This record gives sequence, structure tokens and C-alpha cells, in this order.
Amino acid sequence: MTDSPRRITLDQWDDRYDQLRRGGLAEPSYGGCLRRHVDDGDTRLLDLVMDNSAASLRLWNFLLTEEGRLAAARRQGKVLVGAMKDLGTVPVMAFSLENVVAFYPDGAWWIPCIMQQNANLLEIADSLGVDDSFCPVRALLGAFVSEAHFPIPDQLVCSVGATCDDLSAIAQRLEGMGHAIHWWEVPHRRAPESDEEAVALPGIFSAPKSLVRFVQGELERVRDVLADRAGSPLTDDRLAAGIRRANQVRRLLAQLREEVFAAEAAPLPALEMLIAEMLAIHFCSDQQESAAVLEGLLAEARRRIREGVGVLAADAARVFWVNPVADLRMMNLLEEAGGRVCGTEYLFSHALDLIPEDLPPMEALARAALADPMVGSPVDRAERICHDGKRFGAEAVVVSAIPGASHCALEGAIIAEVVGGRLGVPVLEIEVPPITDSIRPTLQTRLEALVETVKTRRPP
Amino acid sequence: MKRVAYCNPFVPPEWIAAHGLAPVWLMLDGRSAHGPEATRRGICPCVAALLARAADGIDADALVLTTVCDQMRYASAYLESQSGAAQFLMNVPSTWQASGPRALYRQELERLGAFLVKCGGRTPTNDQLAETIERYERERLRGWEKRPLMTARQWSETVLKMRGELPLDLPLCEGGRVDGIRLVVIGGPVLAEDGSFLDMIEEAGGWIVSDGTETGERTLPVRGRRERLQIDPLDELVRIYFDTIPDPFRRPNTVFYDWLGERIAAASARGVILRRYPFCDLWHGEAGRIRQWSPVPVLDLDVAVGDEGEGARTRGRIEAFLEMLA
Repeated sequence: MTDSPRRITLDQWDDRYDQLRRGGLAEPSYGGCLRRHVDDGDTRLLDLVMDNSAASLRLWNFLLTEEGRLAAARRQGKVLVGAMKDLGTVPVMAFSLENVVAFYPDGAWWIPCIMQQNANLLEIADSLGVDDSFCPVRALLGAFVSEAHFPIPDQLVCSVGATCDDLSAIAQRLEGMGHAIHWWEVPHRRAPESDEEAVALPGIFSAPKSLVRFVQGELERVRDVLADRAGSPLTDDRLAAGIRRANQVRRLLAQLREEVFAAEAAPLPALEMLIAEMLAIHFCSDQQESAAVLEGLLAEARRRIREGVGVLAADAARVFWVNPVADLRMMNLLEEAGGRVCGTEYLFSHALDLIPEDLPPMEALARAALADPMVGSPVDRAERICHDGKRFGAEAVVVSAIPGASHCALEGAIIAEVVGGRLGVPVLEIEVPPITDSIRPTLQTRLEALVETVKTRRPP
Repeated sequence: MKRVAYCNPFVPPEWIAAHGLAPVWLMLDGRSAHGPEATRRGICPCVAALLARAADGIDADALVLTTVCDQMRYASAYLESQSGAAQFLMNVPSTWQASGPRALYRQELERLGAFLVKCGGRTPTNDQLAETIERYERERLRGWEKRPLMTARQWSETVLKMRGELPLDLPLCEGGRVDGIRLVVIGGPVLAEDGSFLDMIEEAGGWIVSDGTETGERTLPVRGRRERLQIDPLDELVRIYFDTIPDPFRRPNTVFYDWLGERIAAASARGVILRRYPFCDLWHGEAGRIRQWSPVPVLDLDVAVGDEGEGARTRGRIEAFLEMLA
């Protein structure tokens, strides 16, 4: 086996791991072969093809050992904060305190995929009356009941308001089960009226200053809760330092996205890029290590770009992907169909944009929270997709609907209309359940048809 | 007079009327849902009905929607992208325990006021607003007085009229139920076809002592305080709507449970019927908790509007529930 970039199966990873070890692979404390995660129940890995680099090995190991990190943090007496729904704001605040670790309980929505439903989280949710008419984030109820996937946090914080009803309803159910939640309001982001002062948000949106002030007030309440839990004040200085650290991760990710999406031949696969983006939400419970993992990926991507090699054919159809997939296997499927991801809006583009460092930190965080693509109109979101899709040269857009999600019922039609009209590229809307095996032929055919359409439209 | 349609109880009709415009409760009809978007998987029947209604043309000069439900928020964006009709999306905060969300609601009313002026209305004076609030209150009281004489369907229709133009056109009341199995009905908004559901309950021997549907008495405002109306009527409007309407969408939604517990106890209700639509996450998410919490049996009725045989299935479940309670 060589060092040339390849997408390999878990069986192939066994050999690859030995090869890397023989070559002097230096691993962090959570390192090891990927096979052990299958033995721990993460059986979906058996169906995935993964990048063969040491950097990707570190990424996967980092992702799949979060549970252990959280347990260690609990043993060390750190305060565990479960940051729900906001996808990127409260974790920045929490990690500004030395003895606080934030994680993202909603991330349990991937457990039914990773563990191929062997953890029975969805069945537990069913038993609580939260059935499959809800989005797979309902798995978090099962995770709280089973206590088998993360420690019960010392503090739960959940944004609500202009958020999806699924999570709002599920979080309320959670509170009804005795898990106290600090709720904070994130209002619908509207366009400023003609007589209102407007402020620019990270990304491309703007909002009325009054709304920023409102969110700032809500985040002040979160600040009080976190400081109280931590037993030390969350000062502006600490927040400013926390923002700088978060931005370090975001800068690395921005560079990685820019270089990977713009490269002629994709230097990293879509699956690893999706996981890399997820690190920005809550740093996988370790901010410093997140940055190290991203540095490794960036170095590998740059090496491959420099050498003119990639993991996919150079003529792969350039696809902008909208929404995260409940089944990670989908990212493989796109590439098997002849596509590559060159732009994403996984519902948390606000967690990728830099938080302003030249503003008072609470105002900066409020602006970042309001930049959330989900709190505004889906027309705004479509504009962001157009903006980024154009930048990365997207030839098609896939809107990957999340089954049951309240926002997915209508957003696809809106995004398709705006994006199709503005970018002039084909838009495909598909629905991706936590395990796609039974509908894989259908999905594959649709993706292949999209790729074929893209290639037919290319100038001769 | 220009007509302003709305379909959420957190929009005060008094505010629209005080601007010299006619508030119109937009009665949606789930059976009329049509069109490619209205039938997409995952869309709740209320939003589907709204889209269908909009496609046919809403008989109003402006439409006010709210952020109370996420699908309505998306429907607002969808309608805005489809037509240039005057539309206002009112931000109704979910949280309520801090002062900020309350202030935001008030700001949203003020912003709605500016929108209404653009639609041809005029900014009311405090006296005009106070007088309008009191007028609506008087009419609501007039309706409440007749309630014992009304059937459940008549009461439901009367409550909807309280959300529109005044004076109330009260039905010819021939006498409501005075016996039967006492029930509290809760759930989402009443659609045009839901009157038959209320009839069904009464025909099966139920006596609806409290209509806690979204469009029922649960979401009517409490009485205004006269002294506060003289000082700051807009603040009092905020109090009687935002501060006091119990709704499951609030976070936390303890006030809704307080209301439900009080209604069950005060009316000696023997059962609760929860009527919810598919893909209505806010009510669906509460169903299991309500069942666990309720001191009386709960019938969780999920209804798919327009399905053939739906009526018979619903009737059968209601009859079985009432037999169990009898």
C-alpha cells in the first residue's frame, strides 16, 4: 500500500494502520486503529470508505472518542455544558472558562447511523411518543435515557425561537423528564426596516441593531448561568480570548474549505470534510485538539494539491451540498456517482464564519448567533448558497432533506427556486434517513442522473 | 375598510382594529389543500391549507403570520417568494421568563403598527386603543354569557368571531349540553372541517367543558386592567396576550400545564382529548408528556385531514374513549 491518496474500506484501514505504524506514525492519546470503534458498536464504519491519510485517521479517532473525553472531563471535575441547537455560539462562551467543557447533545442524531440503530435510541424515543415524524435528532432523548453515549451534562442550554420545532419540542420533552434547561431566545432574523439602524453580521447577512441588542441580552443571561456553574466570572477578557481561540479553529477550517473545494482534483473526500466542519460547532469537546486535527488535514490537503493528486477524478461534477446527512454513507455515494462536494451549507455556516474580534465580545457573539442560516428566511439561506456556490464553482446543488425536520418541508422548494434561477444550475432534492441502505439504488440513480446532467451541460 | 387576515391568536385583533382596519380570522380548510407544495411530505395540514388558500387568493388586503410555529415561518417565506401580496411576519418569542422577550413582543406590535399604517391604517391614540381593547372585551363577555346555551361547535365559531370584526354576531342558541362526560379538548387550530369533530364528541356523549384548541377559549386574552389601560394600553395589550396566553410552544411551557390542570380541576373534567395534526411537532412532542402528567385519561387523536375513512376512525376512537370513561 502506498501513500497515494485513496478512499479505502475499514478492512483496508487495518493494513493501512499497520503500515503507518511501521512508518513511525505518531498518535495522540486517543489514537489507535479504526477497527476498535466497530468493536465498540460503531458498525457503520464497515460500510464507509474513508480517506487513507494519517490526518484522516486522527480526525476519525478524534470524532469517535468524544465520549471518553467527556467522561474524563467529568472525572476531572470539569463542568459539562450541553449546548443545544445554537450550533456554535454557546460553546465559544463555555470554552472561555477554564473548567468548563461544552458538547452538543443534538449530535446524538448521528448515533443511529454510526451504530446502525443498534443503540436503540430511536426506539427509546418512540417509546416516549416521539416517533419518526420527528427528525432523527430525537435520538438525543434515547441518549439521555440510556446514559450510554455521553455523561448527563451539569447544565443544559438551548436556544429556541426561530429554530426548528423538532428540537424545540424534543428539548421541552427532555425538560419534562427532569433535565432542567436554560432557554434563550434567538429571534427570527428579519431585514432591517428603512428607518432602522442595520449592522453587518458575519457572513453576508445584516440585521437590525435592535435584534442584535436583544440577542446580546439573551446571551448575557447565558453568561450568568455559565459563570455561576463554573464558579468564576466570565469576563469580557476571557470571552475575547475564547473568541480568538474559536476563530483559530474557524480560520483553519476556512482555509481547508477554500483549498479543498477550489482544487482541481478533490484532495480530501466529502465525508472527511463534513466531519471537519462539524468540529467547528463545539470542537468535539476539545478546542485545542480540534485545531491540531484541522492543521493535520490542511497540511495533507496542501501536500496533495502541491503534488497534483486527489482522491477523485478531476472531472467529477462539482456539487454544492445543502444540509447535513443523517447517513454519512451518502457522502460516499455522491462520490461513487461521479460527484464531489465543492461547497456546503450544513445548517451551521455561522459556526464557520469568523466572530468579529474588533467588537465588544458579547455583541460579537450576538452577531454570530444571528448569522445562523436557520434563524432567517430560507430565501436568505438560498442567497448564501448562491454566494458560496458561485465562489466555489458549483455545477449543481443537492438539497438533502432531513426526514421529519420542520424546516425541510418547505425549504427545498424555496432554495431550488432561488438557487436554480440565480446560479442556473440543476438542483436535486433528496431525503436521507439515518440508514439509507434500503433506498440506496434510488438515491444512487438520482445522483448519477445529476452528475450526468452536469457533465452534459459542460462546454465541449 | 381594508381587511387584514391573520391566523394565530398571538396577533391581537384589537391592535388591527385600533388602526382603523378590519381584523379577519383566516379560517383555513384542510380539505382544500392542493398544489405541489401543499402536498409535500412533512407539511402540516394547517400550513398546507394556508398555501392552498393563498394560491386561490386570500380575500384580504394584507396577511399577518407569526413565528409561533416553524412551518408557518417557512410558509411566510414561501408566500413572500411567490407573490408580492402585503405580508407581515410577526416575531412572537417562545421564552417568557426574562424581560427581553416581552419587550421584543411589544416592539413587534409597534412594527406591526407601522405595517398597518402602510396598509392604509392610522396610528391610534392611547385612548383609541384603550377603547378598542375594552370594546373587544365587552363583546367577549357577551359571548361568554351565552356560552352555556351553545353547542361546542357554536362556541368554537363564536370564539373565532371574537377574533374578527365587531360587533359579535351571536348564533341563535338552542341550548348546549348540560350533561355528559365532561371533557377538555386541546390541540392545534380548528380548521373549517373541525366543527364536525366537535359534533362527534357531543354525539358520542361528551360534554366539552373547555375548548383548549389553539383557536378556542384557551387563547382568548384575559381581562384588561382599567387603570393600566388608561396609562399604557399597549403594555396592557402585551400583558393580556403575550404574558398570559398559555400555549405549548412557550419555553418552558409550564403555564400551559398550569392552565390545563386548573381547567381539569375547575370543570371536574373526566378526560382530555388531544387533537393534533401530522407533522405538528409542537403538539406531538407534548402528547406523551400530557398523557403522563394528566390526572385524567387522555385520548391522543392524530388526525390526517382529508383521508378517506378518517371521520369513521376518529368517531370510533372517541366513542371507545367515552365508553371507557362512562
